[in-house]
Amino acid sequence: MSGPRIILRLDENGRVYQPGDTLAGQYRMTSIERDDVKALEVSVLWFTEGKGDEDMGVHYFKRLSTEEGDWIDPRRPGTFAATLPNSPLSYDGRIVKVRWCVRVRVFLAGGREVVGQRLFRLGNVPKPKLTAATA
Amino acid sequence: MARTFRYFEKKRRHRRTISRPLAIVGEALFFTVFLLGGVVGLIVLYLTLVVPQWESNREFVPHSCTVLDKRIGEKESDDGPLYRPEIQVEYSIDDEKFVVWAYDIWAFDTTGGYSAGKEEKQRILDRFQKSARYPCWYDPDDRSRVILQRGYRWPLGLLFILPVAFVLIGSARLIYLVFLVGRSAERRSALVQKAVQLAPFEPPNKALADYPAIPGGLNLTDSPGTTLAFRLPISSTPSWIMAVTWTVSLIWNGIVAWLSVVAIRGHLQGQHDWPLTVFASVFAVAGVVLIVYAVRQSMVTTGIGPTLVEISEQPLRPGAEYKLFVSQTGRLRLRRFEVSLVCEEEATYRHGTDTRKESCRVSDQTVFEQEDFEVVRGLPFEVNCSVLLPEHVMHSFKSAHNEVNWRFIVRGQVSGWPDFERSFPVLVYPGTNGNGAA
Repeated sequence: MSGPRIILRLDENGRVYQPGDTLAGQYRMTSIERDDVKALEVSVLWFTEGKGDEDMGVHYFKRLSTEEGDWIDPRRPGTFAATLPNSPLSYDGRIVKVRWCVRVRVFLAGGREVVGQRLFRLGNVPKPKLTAATA
Repeated sequence: MARTFRYFEKKRRHRRTISRPLAIVGEALFFTVFLLGGVVGLIVLYLTLVVPQWESNREFVPHSCTVLDKRIGEKESDDGPLYRPEIQVEYSIDDEKFVVWAYDIWAFDTTGGYSAGKEEKQRILDRFQKSARYPCWYDPDDRSRVILQRGYRWPLGLLFILPVAFVLIGSARLIYLVFLVGRSAERRSALVQKAVQLAPFEPPNKALADYPAIPGGLNLTDSPGTTLAFRLPISSTPSWIMAVTWTVSLIWNGIVAWLSVVAIRGHLQGQHDWPLTVFASVFAVAGVVLIVYAVRQSMVTTGIGPTLVEISEQPLRPGAEYKLFVSQTGRLRLRRFEVSLVCEEEATYRHGTDTRKESCRVSDQTVFEQEDFEVVRGLPFEVNCSVLLPEHVMHSFKSAHNEVNWRFIVRGQVSGWPDFERSFPVLVYPGTNGNGAA
């Protein structure tokens, strides 16, 4: 039997998004009982990868909590939609990389967490060609 | 996948980041010790400084006494002799007679009230005459404890600065850690961003709101040019670099001089300290390098005049063309003069207890170059040119540990002088269609 999972699907699967576009999609939980779910967070965010320590910026954030009276049913798919900002654009640099993703985090009873994440691209900035270390 | 407790979170090449819960626990322990240290320090200071002064000023009972004798008490310490005024007094309470040596409340302190400065204590004793009567105050709980001088020593309050700092830092960090516990990274980030937007003392930054993670760049556009719309600020002024270089050089060589004097004096006295000699020699070599560098900076700063760069528009957009004006003053014979537009990635990371910065140039586009010409004093070399920003490039980007920076760099090779390089940052925004092109 597989463990608890979150499956994310983006509308218009796989396309590159541009600033101002609407990012919409669905998330679905599997192998999670309704009574186990304490809270759920949906975020659209960018984060950095590469040499430097990781930074993050949250563009869209929604939290549902059973303690605050929100109804969370793992058997039914949830939806999200967010208008994408002008920046930062996705970037695959030499030592600095900017990634965009949708992340769904489910808080379960007993302090456990389940995280599902789906990357997407914002903008068409290609990988830089020239490389010259300066420091 | 359900997350279980891990000691290490992820491996980044040769570096491993410790698990977040473990880091929070470790940090909480550290700052709890910090906080407790501050609290203990405050309690000790309160009991040893505040309580005795308060009791002597507010609870001791006024009375009178007769001075029988007086002397200066002396005690040896590591820093030399310490002194205190000692006055023998006689007083009676309810037919009970007391004869004690006393002066102020600090005589009952663990230090015994001793301090440096014999003359000051003598002046205190001179105020009291033998066989004369003076007011005194005795402790109602222990009537043999009497003082002839009351008052507060306010400067001692400065001692509270250190424990108060410990308490503030420790408690602030613990509150922050409590804020972290039970909150996801996304929720914390969203809360922080909301707090920044609501910051009462910060003017709303429309550019930052419209273009998140791109530096505001107010200082890049607040200086109008004389030929074109904007004069670009220089990233660090040569005179500032020169001042810092000379300061570091002087401090370093001051240490070298001191070490050398100690080492040489030892050799002259027949006490050969070879480890110190080798250590001082290595320091001296580094000191010479610093002086050479400082002289070189001075030559570049004083001998080569200011460089001005102006641009027709800011911020820049990929795919667009801009006019550029560059002016170089001085009296120089330039072997080569070059203006280029560069893009650099900068990453900051922690490695152990160090914070390291690494940069990588990902674009270097020559905008203008000229070889073998002369700049005459009073007649600056001026050049008007245009620069086309490539269509598909990354915009300026700035987060806490990662940056993408664009700048014009002016480089010069001067006959008989050190080469110079001056940097002028610019802002690049994303193209309007998101793929770079404007």
